[in-house]
Amino acid sequence: MDSREDLWADAMRAERRGDVAAYERLLGDIAEMLRRLIRGRFARLGWGGDDTEDLVQEVLIALHTKRHTWDADRPFLPWLYAIARYKLADAARRLRREARYRRDITPEHWATLFDTPTDDFDRAIGEIGRHLNALPSGQRDVVQALAIDGTTVRATAQKLKTSEGAVRVTLHRALQRLTAAASRDESSNSRGKR
Amino acid sequence: MRSFGDTNSLIKNLSGEAGTGHARAGMPLDRALLLAVAVALALAIVLVFLLFGVSDALLATMRGGPFQHKVASALLIAAGGFFLVRNAARPDGGRLPVLALLPGVVLLALGGVTDASGLPVLGRSGVSVPICLIAIVAVSLPALALIIAAVRKGASTRPTAAGIAAGLLSGALGAAAYALACKNDGGLFVAVWDSVGILIVAALGGAIGRRALAW
Repeated sequence: MDSREDLWADAMRAERRGDVAAYERLLGDIAEMLRRLIRGRFARLGWGGDDTEDLVQEVLIALHTKRHTWDADRPFLPWLYAIARYKLADAARRLRREARYRRDITPEHWATLFDTPTDDFDRAIGEIGRHLNALPSGQRDVVQALAIDGTTVRATAQKLKTSEGAVRVTLHRALQRLTAAASRDESSNSRGKR
Repeated sequence: MRSFGDTNSLIKNLSGEAGTGHARAGMPLDRALLLAVAVALALAIVLVFLLFGVSDALLATMRGGPFQHKVASALLIAAGGFFLVRNAARPDGGRLPVLALLPGVVLLALGGVTDASGLPVLGRSGVSVPICLIAIVAVSLPALALIIAAVRKGASTRPTAAGIAAGLLSGALGAAAYALACKNDGGLFVAVWDSVGILIVAALGGAIGRRALAW
């Protein structure tokens, strides 16, 4: 009997023996399954597929960091599905928040898009610092290392004792946050001038 | 927006760490939970003695029916709470066995229903209720911290429920320990205020778990 359950549970056991190839194949298969599942779900919600890979990676990282909590005597799929559900529900909440924010951008905001950057440079730098400080410390460390100190992703991952994939995910989130904060600032500035 | 290539390189990175998961994991969840419960109960008992002293009549109290009833029902509720925590702490735990709480709750309620002592539900004195509640919550707090720390060893996909379960368990442990100092033996008093104390700790556990157990 070579059901998905058996195949994947075997691969999980192989991972515990340090079998890199089996684990890589497993993660690839799971990524493929997630990709299909998430795309279907997004289409139904009327969202684009832009964030699909983000979510796939997020679930993979969750599975990886919690893989020791799977009890090898129990079925693997229920464990995997519960973790995927948990992470995707989280992400869905976040995406909904972001979508609401994007919708809230007013026509006035678009109108002032090209006439703002006359302000002095120093203040802009100060703003960047302020936004950086508002980030959660994990994200701040990553932005600091990559964008300000100019270290490579690999070196950053080593320094922060995490994987390169995790660094990329964190950077992506931090940039989203910074973008959101920056446009929030702009819109409140332009409203203030009126 | 990221591409397949990114995901593939992530998979390469992650799979390079094959075989290292268990070394980092430390104690398995079940053992961590049991250990947390044992230490928590011991701590709660020590706290009760520190806060209320050891009464001269302790041995006589412990031989009495009311004491044994209080401890038995609290420990039964704790046992039920343990199963709830255990299931809530793992992603594949399935539906929570809420019925596991039933034996303890029934025993506690029986004490209230069959109470023939004639003691008032508000206790012997005006401060009985606040003292009882504050004591149960206070001696349960270290237990709650320990049990939530143990649950973090798992991968709870329902942090609030796991927190509430941890609160029920630690509240029941606290109630069992407080029986050593509790001077109110009325069955109704115990049934009502032990329950309220445990529920306060459960609510606290839910609020804490919601944040502390999310990942």
